Amino acid sequence: MLLTVLKAIGALSVLGLAAASMLALAARKFHVDVDPRVEAIASALPGANCGACGNPSCFSAAEAIAAGRLPVTACTAGGKSVAQAIGALMGDDACDVVAAVSVRHCGGGTNASRAYEYGGVQSCGAVAKLAGGALVCASGCLGYGDCVRACPFGAMSLDERGLPVIDSAKCTGCGICVRECPRGQISLLELVSDAAPVVVRCNAHNKPRDRKSSCSACCIACKKCERECPADAIHVIDLLAVVDYEKCTGCGTCVEVCPQDCIDLNAGHLSVTGDGKGKSATAGEQALAGAVSGD
Amino acid sequence: MLTISHFLLLFVGAALINNILLTRFIGLCSFFGISNSMNTAFGMSAAVIFVMMMASTTTWLVWKFILFPLNIGEFLYIPAFILIIAALVQFVEMYLRKSSPALYRAMGIYLPLITTNCAVLAAATEVSKPGFFKMAMPYSYTLGEALVYAFGVSVGFGFALLTFTALRERLDIAPVPRVLRGNPMSFITAGLLSLAYVGLAGWFGL
Repeated sequence: MLLTVLKAIGALSVLGLAAASMLALAARKFHVDVDPRVEAIASALPGANCGACGNPSCFSAAEAIAAGRLPVTACTAGGKSVAQAIGALMGDDACDVVAAVSVRHCGGGTNASRAYEYGGVQSCGAVAKLAGGALVCASGCLGYGDCVRACPFGAMSLDERGLPVIDSAKCTGCGICVRECPRGQISLLELVSDAAPVVVRCNAHNKPRDRKSSCSACCIACKKCERECPADAIHVIDLLAVVDYEKCTGCGTCVEVCPQDCIDLNAGHLSVTGDGKGKSATAGEQALAGAVSGD
Repeated sequence: MLTISHFLLLFVGAALINNILLTRFIGLCSFFGISNSMNTAFGMSAAVIFVMMMASTTTWLVWKFILFPLNIGEFLYIPAFILIIAALVQFVEMYLRKSSPALYRAMGIYLPLITTNCAVLAAATEVSKPGFFKMAMPYSYTLGEALVYAFGVSVGFGFALLTFTALRERLDIAPVPRVLRGNPMSFITAGLLSLAYVGLAGWFGL
């Protein structure tokens, strides 16, 4: 009996030792140098594994960048600082990266009237399949927060109006919310330069009269902003105010004059909830005041 | 002549009639896990053929010259064989990585999966202790028989995996009822496929 136990121990030890020494030898003999930059690039990436670059993980993105299959600017989520860090590792000056943030072109929420009462799965994707959503407005925010759940950086939340609020300080511009939004294709959510000072909270392209009956916070294409803008940066195109961020100086005139309160200050500096509070100050002054509280 | 038909029967029996996946239901995790696309299924099949042959040869040798003579094989064969297979697969992975990067890329990612594949352990066990999963056979395989048997088992594995993958690829674009899409349909397909293989039982007196 004892002999059997000893034989078993001996046999397994010999086998284990043989296997271990074979592997140790092989590890030395068949050693393959891997690109040390992969590790460095992987640690420079945000590590959120968001998938916005098209790779399943940050590590595989790092491999692709080190192998030259992806540009050093591939990580949109990391933005400029990450691109520069990777560019330094790859010996490549980072090209111009325009840091982007996501903005919502809708001020509907509780202001928008409903076409029907929806009691199904609480998801924008689900309600959008039911006669195009529960809103009368065909382009407004459905308000079930698919974007909020999809955001890998926790930069979004639903406010009391049922609209997603984007924290520009946390938003990396990865664009996942735009992809998740059933109305992302018609730019309800849109990526803009993170320096964008104002944002139009309406996305409708139907007749302003129909619009007005379906939502009290819509752009009515009155062109007041267009007339008052000192920088000629906002125009009503296809019956909707559109900001030209190349020209916009962030003076906030359009925000003040809009009779529908559907133009907001952006850039994560301010939250204008539509009650007109603080509209006497210019955007720049408000930005300096630094009330960081919302989109 | 006798030997040729003997080896042929051994091969057919291992590959089709006692198909390791669909008749004996061993190694089903990779059967469902890797059968999404033809490319991965093909890589996995090639890797399994390769590893199963090597592992079976090694375990046959260890059984014949270490475990059986010492009379400790009856209770020690599973840990010993797992140890051997794991070390062997690791070694093969390192070797391939160094010597043939192309082959490594095609097969490399499946090798760690095979380390813990029960089908490989089953084949390695059977060549050492024939008939372990059925009635005990009165004789043990020679090395030639062991090799043919392992080849048959692994070819049967690959054949069943590729058949199933082809069916699943077809089903992806077929108008399957919504409740059955995805895994339910895969399980039903696997069941029917298994019935077809079980129908082969008894051929050639096997």
